[in-house]
Amino acid sequence: MNLWNLLRYISMKHLRLQKAQIFMAVAGICLGVTAIVSIGVVNRSVIFSFQDSFNRMIGNAALQITGAQSGFPESIIEKVQDVRGVQYAVPVIETDGMLVDGKERSMLILGVDVLVDTQVRDYSLTGESADVPDPILFLAKPDSILITKAMADREGFAIDQKIQVQTVEGIRTFRIRGLLNPEGPAKAMGGNVAVMDIYAAQMAFGKTGRIDRIDVSLRKGENLETVRQAIMDALPKGYMVDTPAGRTRQVENMIAKFQNGFDFISYLAILVGMYLIYNAVSISVVHRRKEIGILRAIGCRRKEIMLLFMGETLMISVIASSLGVALGLLLANSLVGAFGKVISETFVRTSVTGIHVTWLYPAIGLLCGMITSLIAALFPAMSSSRISPASAIRSVPYTEDKIFTTLRLNLGGVFFIALSFLLFHIYGFSGPYLLAAQIMLAVGISFFTPAFLNGFVTLFNRVFASRLGSAGRLAGLNLRKNLTRNAVAVAAVFFGISVFVASSGYVHSVKGTTLNWLDSIIKSEIILSSGHPGSSTNAQIIPLPANMSRELEKVPGVLAAAPWRRAFTDYQGSKVLLSASDYTQYPKRSHDGAGPGFMKNQTHFIPDGNRVEISEAFAAIFSVKKGDEISLPTPAGPVVFKVAGIVVDYSYDSGVINMDIKTYQRYWGDMLCNSFLVHVEAGAKVGDVRDEIQRRFGVDRKLYVLSALEFKNEIRKMLDDMFIFNYALNVITLTIACLGIIVALFASVLERTREIGTLRAIGMLRRQIYGVVVLESVLMGLAGGSLGSVAGIISGWLNLEGFFVASLGSAKYYLPFGAILWALLLSAGLSALAGMIPARRAAKTNIVEALAYD
Amino acid sequence: MTKSRMVLFLLMVAVMTPSFAYAMSGRDVYDKVQEMRTRMLDRKTEAVMVLYDRGGGKRTRTLTEYCKSISLDAYKILLVFNSPPDLKGVGFLLHARTLADRDLWAYFPEYKRIRRIPTASQDDSFFGSDFSYDDFSGPPNLDDYSFKILRDETVDGKPCHVIEVAPKTPHKYTRYVAWVAKNLWITTKIEYYQEKELYRSGSFRDIRVIDGFPTPFEIEMENHKTRHRTELTIKTIRYGANFPDKLFTQRALERGGGQ
Repeated sequence: MNLWNLLRYISMKHLRLQKAQIFMAVAGICLGVTAIVSIGVVNRSVIFSFQDSFNRMIGNAALQITGAQSGFPESIIEKVQDVRGVQYAVPVIETDGMLVDGKERSMLILGVDVLVDTQVRDYSLTGESADVPDPILFLAKPDSILITKAMADREGFAIDQKIQVQTVEGIRTFRIRGLLNPEGPAKAMGGNVAVMDIYAAQMAFGKTGRIDRIDVSLRKGENLETVRQAIMDALPKGYMVDTPAGRTRQVENMIAKFQNGFDFISYLAILVGMYLIYNAVSISVVHRRKEIGILRAIGCRRKEIMLLFMGETLMISVIASSLGVALGLLLANSLVGAFGKVISETFVRTSVTGIHVTWLYPAIGLLCGMITSLIAALFPAMSSSRISPASAIRSVPYTEDKIFTTLRLNLGGVFFIALSFLLFHIYGFSGPYLLAAQIMLAVGISFFTPAFLNGFVTLFNRVFASRLGSAGRLAGLNLRKNLTRNAVAVAAVFFGISVFVASSGYVHSVKGTTLNWLDSIIKSEIILSSGHPGSSTNAQIIPLPANMSRELEKVPGVLAAAPWRRAFTDYQGSKVLLSASDYTQYPKRSHDGAGPGFMKNQTHFIPDGNRVEISEAFAAIFSVKKGDEISLPTPAGPVVFKVAGIVVDYSYDSGVINMDIKTYQRYWGDMLCNSFLVHVEAGAKVGDVRDEIQRRFGVDRKLYVLSALEFKNEIRKMLDDMFIFNYALNVITLTIACLGIIVALFASVLERTREIGTLRAIGMLRRQIYGVVVLESVLMGLAGGSLGSVAGIISGWLNLEGFFVASLGSAKYYLPFGAILWALLLSAGLSALAGMIPARRAAKTNIVEALAYD
Repeated sequence: MTKSRMVLFLLMVAVMTPSFAYAMSGRDVYDKVQEMRTRMLDRKTEAVMVLYDRGGGKRTRTLTEYCKSISLDAYKILLVFNSPPDLKGVGFLLHARTLADRDLWAYFPEYKRIRRIPTASQDDSFFGSDFSYDDFSGPPNLDDYSFKILRDETVDGKPCHVIEVAPKTPHKYTRYVAWVAKNLWITTKIEYYQEKELYRSGSFRDIRVIDGFPTPFEIEMENHKTRHRTELTIKTIRYGANFPDKLFTQRALERGGGQ
């Protein structure tokens, strides 16, 4: 009998008959693959969108020169242009703007020398494909702006129309002088791009005589590294000369850190699916043991029996994985916008317009689904091949307990946990290894589920079983009957709950830590900014002039308005965040005498002191200690600062440097700020002051004027948005866990058909049978929920250490009590619900048929 | 001369006459054109430029051009827009040290700064008009082109050499065909091609002789791809102006000329 015939005549019949079990196995794997594919595709789409926009922006420039974020003198261009090997050195100003009318859509405004820039970037600015009716007028008038055709169509703009844009100089009116075809930079950021001439941009954005960047193209045949070195030699210290790939890598690493946590959850989801496949195949083996015996009796070899089950699993897994890929792509498509928004608000401006699908993630999902299914099916398939014809025909109950003895499983558990600790020991908490170590740990703990279930049932029997009468005692006994398979259902719940608790613990701790940190630094009653208040990295902030503080302080009820500037600078080849605020002013102006500023002991921040504080992340990344000196590039050359302290600062994971704003302004010549921390006089109503600020300044600028509480709520909302994927994945893993319980109980009910018939025959009522099965389900759920909660707490802490502490600095782990309570309630409640289906089947058992069942 | 010798002579004349007519090569013709353009460089021109877009909209601007010849192939040009108000004072200054070595600057009053126009851009359209920077910036370097006489034709009653001119290095156009009026040595018609496709054409009409120089008073250039058209009408022109050097400085550019 060849395998094909076995599959064709035997497997297909069973697949048709066992629709419910097959459906649940398919659903389990399908959801696991959905999680892997959706997360992979969303992550890839965000990175691709960023890379695509970046490449369009960079054109054919081989090198980019950047200095302080506040800009650097345009005279640097000539120095670069004179370097041998440089073909074109073109200046760029890159800033954010926001349309005041309509949908208040934000856009990237690119200020370029339009007379030269076509040598580096591919615009349709000139030439027959362009629609710039009067280029001379475009150059002659500082209000000229070019927008993309896509934006014009979307917003209903036309050439010569005036538009109002929120800029660093307030709301400015520009006139559309032309429309850019969707080529080059005009296609970046989903078309939310505007181009201005560099000099107009300098005037509009308060950067007269300064530029943000120089893009350099090389002469043919020139060596990139030689020219890069020559440019570095020609420039004062503090300028960063990097390849576009180098610049994108920095941002990609930043985004990747954020994304790693999701990978962990998605791979755990497939593990839960694995348990479902294991159970489904086990049930099939239970159900068909007589058939297996007959097949063996008529000459079927053990290997063929095993291949029969593996072949069935392969068929199921191909269908499930394919469905998972399709669902994953659909889920990715619906989540990519929200995820892109979070990345854009938190890390770097990007505009994800849709999913970017390559063969990679669908292939990974498909392979993961198939391989994990085959691995999961391997043991029950092997067991099936061991069924002897005689025992099958005599209806000896099938059990895996002899194969998977508690000792063997415990040893397996110890092995995986040891492997996990080894990975932690060797690689610490770094991304991919942390992921592998956590999965090993979870798998290891799951191997202890039979032992744990045994202990749990013992405890139940001793304490509760007698109080629940015969149903309680029967439920306890039944759970022990096929401990391994029941433990598999418990393991499925364990995985679901551990992911839920781990994810909740991580989210809870990140939120708690971040909000506590904000409490410690934000002592003002009102926070004013022109962009998203939670944007730590200026992704969508349009800076404000720092001297606006004088006007703000004229508002009745305002005690002080301290500018807060956040700008990036280069430190040893990496981008770090400079955070400058008016530390010295606060103690003087405080109405409580203690100093409502950032911290009470900030006396070392005297403006002439050249002292800075660094974040823990900065200290760890660059191995800098308190008392060390660090040299920072300023537009006027490198300046040495003494490190006065190391503080907790979660603003930026590549490192934060805090300094007094006057020191910053003196060295960087940058008179802008991102926000103002407004202190209100004692007795003044915060709401009234806030409204008055909005009334006075909200006409010229689009402002976010928030009370401290509103600000924190915004941050909380932003954090919620950041973790939207966690919530979606929690639902997926819990669904799979429920399916696991249903499948396990179906197996249990099926196996005990005759026993249930006997119980019914000796007088047990349908509702009592029903109660026993539901109780078994609840017990399995509670066992999985308890173990999962413990594992989830550990996993959540590991995630916090690996993904947050390792990159941002020390954080407190907050036990997610609420989530644990929910986990136990959910595991019991969902298990009860899951148990109802097999319970109904058990209760409906026909006594005569059941007694005849073998 | 015997009769047979006479017949032979006449036959030879008949056969050789065309050869005499084409005795000038394309380069020879363009040398003449170049000589004429160089001689015409000392001048002041007041002109009206009208730009027509494909939708029929038109933009009118007036301009003054000052030219000064320095040597055989060196010259300076200052061009200043007088209207519309948005463009008043916008100017361009060209210094050609040789025909192949030129610097061009632009001045935009609202920025109060002078900008250098890179050489690479000089092949492009002259700020939205259908003229190129080269059209405005004096004679080209003939060594950069190859020339071929195609035929003779009459344009507006003027017998012309039809010459194909191809740049030796890549340009925006692959070749152009010019109709050069015999004896006047000025272009009366020109067509620019990108490969085989006509993308720009110009006509030079109302040719009057001013101070001994044949001068087209109406020039029209049309871009066949964008269906955009520019007309340049000369209002006044004065040759032999002999402007002082200080008129061709960046300072003068900022002041908008003023002679």
